Formats: sequence, structure tokens, C-alpha cells
Amino acid sequence: MEDKVSLLAKTLTPSPIQQLSLLAQRCNAINLAEGFPDFPAPSHIKDAAIAAINSDFNQYRMKQMHGLDVDPLTDIAICCGQSEAFAATMFAIINPGDEVILFDPSYETYETCIKMAGGVPVYVSLDPPHWNLGRDKLMMSFTLRTKAIVLNSPHNPTGKVFTEDELEIIAGACRARDCLAVTDEVYELITYDNEEHISLASLPEMQNRTIITSSLSKTFSVTGWRIGWAIAPACFASAIRNIHIKVTDSAPAPFQEAALVALTSPPEYFESLRKDYESKRDYIVELLLRVGFQLHMKPKGSFFVFAELPESCILSDIEFVEELIKQAGVVAVPGCGFFHTNQSSDEFSQAAFSYQKKYIRFAFCKSDATLYSAAQKLGQLCDAEGPLKLMYSGECTAH
Amino acid sequence: MSTLAIKHGAINLGQGFPNFDGPEFVKEAAIQGIKDGKNQYARGYGVPDLNLAVADRFMKDTGLVVDPEKEVTITSGCTEAIAATMLGLINSGDEVILFAPFYDSYEATLSMAGAKIKCVTLRPPDFSVPVDELKSAFSKNTRAILINTPHNPTGKMFTREELDVIASLCIENDVLVFTDEVYDKLAFEMDHISMASLPGMYERTVTLNSLGKTFSLTGWKIGWAIAPPHLTWGVRQAHSFLTFATSTPMQYAAAAALRAPDSYYEELKRDYRKKKAILVEGLKEVGFTVFPSSGTYFVVVAHTPFGLENDVTFCEYLIKEVGVVAIPTSVFYLNPEDGKDLVRFTFCKDEGTLRSAVERMKEKLGK
Repeated sequence: MEDKVSLLAKTLTPSPIQQLSLLAQRCNAINLAEGFPDFPAPSHIKDAAIAAINSDFNQYRMKQMHGLDVDPLTDIAICCGQSEAFAATMFAIINPGDEVILFDPSYETYETCIKMAGGVPVYVSLDPPHWNLGRDKLMMSFTLRTKAIVLNSPHNPTGKVFTEDELEIIAGACRARDCLAVTDEVYELITYDNEEHISLASLPEMQNRTIITSSLSKTFSVTGWRIGWAIAPACFASAIRNIHIKVTDSAPAPFQEAALVALTSPPEYFESLRKDYESKRDYIVELLLRVGFQLHMKPKGSFFVFAELPESCILSDIEFVEELIKQAGVVAVPGCGFFHTNQSSDEFSQAAFSYQKKYIRFAFCKSDATLYSAAQKLGQLCDAEGPLKLMYSGECTAH
Repeated sequence: MSTLAIKHGAINLGQGFPNFDGPEFVKEAAIQGIKDGKNQYARGYGVPDLNLAVADRFMKDTGLVVDPEKEVTITSGCTEAIAATMLGLINSGDEVILFAPFYDSYEATLSMAGAKIKCVTLRPPDFSVPVDELKSAFSKNTRAILINTPHNPTGKMFTREELDVIASLCIENDVLVFTDEVYDKLAFEMDHISMASLPGMYERTVTLNSLGKTFSLTGWKIGWAIAPPHLTWGVRQAHSFLTFATSTPMQYAAAAALRAPDSYYEELKRDYRKKKAILVEGLKEVGFTVFPSSGTYFVVVAHTPFGLENDVTFCEYLIKEVGVVAIPTSVFYLNPEDGKDLVRFTFCKDEGTLRSAVERMKEKLGK
């Protein structure tokens, strides 16, 4: 009966992040891997949800919200998380065979959504160590079949915030080639050092060709509520909404009501969110440098740090993370899962892409107590000079 | 219809959700979940306690023992369970058999999966399965058949004999069965039968259900798929890229809901029987031809005694001139012509609303 599974489903493999979480659980490890907070959501949001459940908002609900310069009646589709907004967007815009450009490294889910809709992902590598976007590389990846570019900024896993120049490169390409842009802006309110997040859609001539996806989850630490949205010109928003209605019909009603309260939070909430995360970022950056990682830049946004193993470390990212779990009881995510290769690119040697096995992603959306505990545990594995012994010897524990 | 209805201040017996709320104990459980901090991503295929509660309930209902970890997947409503099943288990070009009239998400998700729909039409007065038409719908390309029982919009419940015929055709042709059973607790005229419980059928069946209709919490979006591990795998793959995870606090509350004592379900049926009586008697007195509905909270009637052209024009007339909303059933057919004589009313509304609607219809339509 196994042959009954769809060809599409057969190509999907279990997430390496999830497998590591299972290993971590078995080892009772501190989880700095998956990107969700271990501290509570703000009370005023929880209270709003409770009020909504207590009153009559438990039936199907259609609600729109304000964002940018949009018509809330026609330009917004509320979905079950940015996850669903992105999936619905792909079904809404991709015909079988259409190509979609993605920047590498990238969040693992985009590729699968593109393929589910029959599209072909095309990867453009950002250049380490600062993950810069090269204009020529981008333009060379276009073909007659290119339908859209996906932009995630602030960026998971690197913590990069795309610069104005880079946004203009992308916008210029979209205009020149008449293609669409789909953005994932879930970390839009988590930026540091006074860095301002700029929406690609706000650039000249971009709003009518951009679909913005985002959510409540990261900004309000309610990843489990499944409230996200797509904002786009009416023709796209309505297509997305139609698909969303067929896929889930609606996002949880009481949380949509709470979202209204959340999104009208006073500026002080967002300021303190940023400040808190910034101090966690500084803490973890200092920690990782101290224990021997290489960091060429501090993350400017998101709650991830993409740290590089030094040359002296002979372990791959996966081996290193396994050792870190077993020896220190701390979990992080090996970076290789975020890197992809185009199916047609066999002209580059292995060496050119060896950096793809040398990065580890740490999440710092954790309470101060958790971060402190992680620091203590890592400290126990360090030698007198500071760095982790793992950085030199690459000793693996017996299996 | 809803927008037109609001404009005219019409009583809405169209869309199938209650205008009353869910039980307090379930709402309290969700509130406690939020307060206790259950607000982050749940495990993708479900909070373990809910998977267990679903498996326990399924055992009570069907006698089948399933593994909550390997055979139960929680989704954002049954709608998402359907989408994940189609996208996870159907290949482009596969044929899938549907019974018309059908819930409109089936057609949409099948076309997202690139499937070819083969339709078998159920006809009044009893909407029984036309066996010859069904047999000829099977071909070597048939991958699956979808059954919704109790059935939206007609209220039909598939009998044991009908399920036996379908089962033997599926075994003979090696075809999967997807069953949408969201109204299983609203079975009035006969007992609900799950296809998965028939001999030889569990291994090829995906059973789909949800919290919404049973507990009047349609907006919470808690549903599930129960299937053997090799089919569950496909459903979970698609699900993890459609929504990734389902609302966490609601899952905890759903587990509490599913452990409700039998008295809850008995009272639910009692209440709905009363409502059904008000509506059905009322519709008959107004002059509709009312077709027997065994389950769900829907009833389908022929509007032809009133001399309007088709179901859509009748429904528009009903809103504007009478102030009541019904759903034109042509939306539930591949060929809208098949539904032009029929409209669907719901009785998932409080008794006052139902009585008012009947009064309005008697006054403005009554013969």
C-alpha cells in the first residue's frame, strides 16, 4: 500500500531540526535550537484572547487588519500563521514549472511549499561571511520561467537585515523582469542597533507586485496561536484568501480578536521587546565568541545567530551539534539544513561550498535564565584559555 | 449570501455554524491553557494528550484501537485535514470519486493536487447511492473515493449496505477511502458507521473529523485525521508545510472536550432534535417539499412550489422579500444544473431564531 503516497509527499524528508529536537529531548538538553520563546506571552494579549473566548468570538470570523497603505477589505488574507500564508501564496501564484528564486541559506519550508505548488526553486547564494547579495549573481539566475523572488528579512538563519541597496537590487530585478516578490517579514519588529526594517513593498513600483507575509508569532511570543497574514494587491489577496478558505477555512477566531489588541499595543511594548532581545543578543554573541566561534557580524535582526566553526575544528556542523548535546547538554541547529544546491549546478567543486557545513544556528529567544544556564554548561567544556575543547580536538564521544 | 443577508437584516439559516456558543468547561480549559503559558508551537502532529483523547474517543465510537502517536494527526480544522490528505496522498492525474452534492473544499483541494474528479450524483428523495453509476465510475486510474457521512448538504447517512458495496469496490480496485465524519455526533435517524470499521477497510481508510460541530466551537479550528501509519505519513508531510502546527491552547481544551461524558452527547442530540422539529415542521407548513435528513444539522428542500427560476434566484428572493437566508445547493455540484431545484437550511441556531424564521416564511411564502 506504500505506493499510494503521492509523488510529492515522497520527496519530502523529515526536518533535521525536528530530529535533533528528539535527540535533545532524550538527552534532556537545553534547547537553543528551535525558534520559539520559552518565556511567556505578554499579559495584555493573553487577556484579550481570554476575553474573546468568554464572549462570543468562538465561531468562524472574518477580520481584517491595518498595515502599510492597504485597503483592509481587499488586500489582506488572515491565515493560520505565516506558514499557511506562504503556502497559500505559492498555490495562488505558481503554475507547474514556474521558477522561484530563493536566497541561500534559507528557511527550509519555502522550498517545499514551492514544490507542492509545482514550482521549481532556484537558489542564489548569499556571499559569506556577511551574506551579501551580488547583483550579477541574482540577474544570472533569471530565466523566462522566473515567476517570483522570495525575500526573508530580517533573515533566518543569519540574522541579516537586507540593506537598502540590496532591496533596490531586488526591486530593480523584479521591475526589469516583471516578476513578483513574496516576502517573509515575521521578524520585522525584532531589529537591533537602531536598524530599521524596510518592507520591499515600500520601494517604488513594488507594492503592486509584492506579497507580504508575516505573523503575530515572533513579535508577541505566541507562536502557538497560528495567526498570520498575507498583504497584497487585491487580485493576489483574494486568490490567497480563496485558497486559505479551502485549506483551513479560517484562523482561530478568539486569537484573531486578540490580534487586534496586540497590533494596537503602545510603542513602549515594541521598544521594550527590542531592548530585551538586544540584550539577549549581546549576551549570546559574547558567549559564542568566548567559546571560540567566529562571528563576522552581530545579527541585526531576528533572534538567531549564525556562528561559524573555526578552521581548527575538524568536526562538521552536524557532528559538532551532536557532541554539544551529548557533552554539554545544549542544542543548536546545524547550518547545513539551510543551504541548498541547484539541481543543475555541478560545475562548482565541493571545496567552493565546504563552508556550508561549518555554520551553527543558535536561537536566543529564551529567558535570561536559560541563556545563563547554557553559558554555564558550555563553560564546563572549555579549557583554561576559553574556547571549547571541541574546537580543537574534534573528539567525538563513543557511540 | 452572507453579505446580502446582513444588508437586508435577514435571519441566517444559511452558513453552517451555530449562533450559540460552546460548553463552558471547554472554554475554561482553553483559558487555563492560555494562562498556563501553552502559547508556543505545539508538536506538529498534535499535543500528545489530544492525540490520545482522539484515539480513545475513536475506540469508543468504532471499537478500533489506533496508536495515538502513529495514526492520529491534529490539523487546523477538518478542512485542513482534507487538504493535507489530498495533497499528501493524491498524485497529479489520479482519479478521485466524489458524491455530489459535496462540500466545496473537496473540489478545490483536489484540483490543487492535480486530480481528476469523477462525480456520482445523489438524487432526491432519499439521496441513495446509485450502485451502477458508482461501479462505472471506477477505473484503473482511480486512487481514492471520498465519502461524507452524515452528509452535508442533504443530511443523508450512508447505510451499512451502501458502505459494503463501496468497500468491496475499493478492495477489488485497490482504492483508498477518505471519510469526512464531522457530523458523526449529529446522527438522528440511524447509527453512524465509520467505513474504517468495516472488514479489510482500516488499512486503506483515512477518517477525518473535528471538534467544531460537536462542541459548537467552529472558530477554534481543531480537526484530525486517523489512518494507518503509511497513510498518516503522507498526511503529516503535507500538513507540516500547510500550517506546521495547530493552535496550542485549543488543543488542550479539545482533549478535555473529547473526554466529556456520554450525557453531553445525549443532550446535544436532544437539543438538536428539538430544533430540527421546529424547522422541518415549519418548512412543511410553509409548503416546501422537505426531504428526510437523517443526520447533520442541515435539511434540503425543493423550492419549486414557489415558482422561482432556480435555487440562486430563490435564495435571493428569500433574503430580500422574506428576510431568511438559505444556501443554493448548486454550489455543491460540479454541474450547477443538478442543484437548481434544491436549497439547504440549517437548524444550528437557537430556537427563537428558528421560530422567527419559520414565522417570516409562513407570512411571506405560505400557501
